[in-house]
Amino acid sequence: MRSAWLVIRKDLRAELRRPQAMIAMLFFGFLLLVILDVAVPAGTEITPETGAGILWVAITFSSVLGLGRSFDREKENHCLEGLLLSPLSPEGLFGAKMAVNCIFMGLAELAILPLFFILYGDAFLRSLPALALVLLLANSGFAATGTLFAAITAGADRNEALLPMLFFPLVMPLIAMAVRATGMIFAGAPLPEYSSWLQVMAAFTLIFTGLGFLVSRHIFRD
Amino acid sequence: MAADDYLEVSGLCKEYEGCRALRDLSFRLARGDFLTLFGPNGAGKSTLLRIIATLTAPDSGRVRVDGADLEDGSEEFRKRLGFISHHALLYDQMSALENLVFSASLYGVADPGARAEELLAQVDLQLHRHRLAGTFSRGMRQRLSIARALVNDPDLLLLDEPFTGLDRQAALLLGELLLVLKERRRTIIMVTHDLDRGLAMASRVGILAGGRLAFLEPRHRIDAAAFAGLYLATINGETS
Repeated sequence: MRSAWLVIRKDLRAELRRPQAMIAMLFFGFLLLVILDVAVPAGTEITPETGAGILWVAITFSSVLGLGRSFDREKENHCLEGLLLSPLSPEGLFGAKMAVNCIFMGLAELAILPLFFILYGDAFLRSLPALALVLLLANSGFAATGTLFAAITAGADRNEALLPMLFFPLVMPLIAMAVRATGMIFAGAPLPEYSSWLQVMAAFTLIFTGLGFLVSRHIFRD
Repeated sequence: MAADDYLEVSGLCKEYEGCRALRDLSFRLARGDFLTLFGPNGAGKSTLLRIIATLTAPDSGRVRVDGADLEDGSEEFRKRLGFISHHALLYDQMSALENLVFSASLYGVADPGARAEELLAQVDLQLHRHRLAGTFSRGMRQRLSIARALVNDPDLLLLDEPFTGLDRQAALLLGELLLVLKERRRTIIMVTHDLDRGLAMASRVGILAGGRLAFLEPRHRIDAAAFAGLYLATINGETS
């Protein structure tokens, strides 16, 4: 646990010093929100379902940029090999990278959400507490799946192209559930109406987190 | 495993896409042995080091260190392992001190800051402790990389072509550090093509060819000139 925390702290410090992943995620998220806002005719009322779709398009595409970079720092000078030579277990490394991805996604969302509420209506703002729960579950699921595939593709030459090709088809059910749950929350539905979506999202996250820990030893060692 | 054996390699086999890197490789080392392994390119030297370092899993065979199978407690074993490879294993965006403190912390060193300062002094980089590793010259990076590998004061040190590409100062420094470690009875396996340096430091000398140990003898039984001839004949036999 301690070694994993050291890796998390190192990655957060490195990102603070040179915020490559965060800038890419925020820029892409902002750009998508603005483009979609321009595409919607003026005066058109955004339905809860459409609002949910727009929000998750921005979050999903900005997240994949961050996930793709989660092993970039370990590639320079073969630092990943340095970590694997240390007493840090492969499971600890997976857990650390998943936690870092989760934190980066959460920080990006903290910046993307205000712009979303400004552009698409502050009526959605009242849904924030329930939305936070959906974001937490979706972030964990994204981070588990994304870290797993980022680790698998870390050694590949063109992993920037490979990661989305592997990641998106698998994470599609999670995105669909997040959009559904968010749409219902924006429409003012009570928790029991969308709790089944949250339960399936939690199950998805648990399955891919468990899978990541189970296979990390095989991913990181030849 | 005999009572004084520290490292036991038995029946190691490894194949990469149809190419057999190691074929039933077995040998034993006592604590404090310094084994220099020579061999032509592709003989399986790096694969052997990577398997002992737990970076690569063998297809069959096993490695035991201090009586324990590596499969059972490789995390515990890696606390006592040092590895100097072709790669610097340094974070360019971290200072020299931060790189060493991070590594020392990962290895659970009691006072990472003090250990990092001690190593920076040993490799003559204490005046550059706050400079980013990415701004270092090649020689400085090599010295920092050596310090990084020694951060946990390893019981077992693996060196993969450690002198290749080193500048004169870094090579001298590495030679001195290795002699100190040898005197302190650290077990060392060095893979090299450098006959002079390899023979000068070794207590045991081996030749790996075609994934097999073609030769393994204590250093005192070897005549340097005769060994050079044998080594050349082995390389020529491999390449012809």
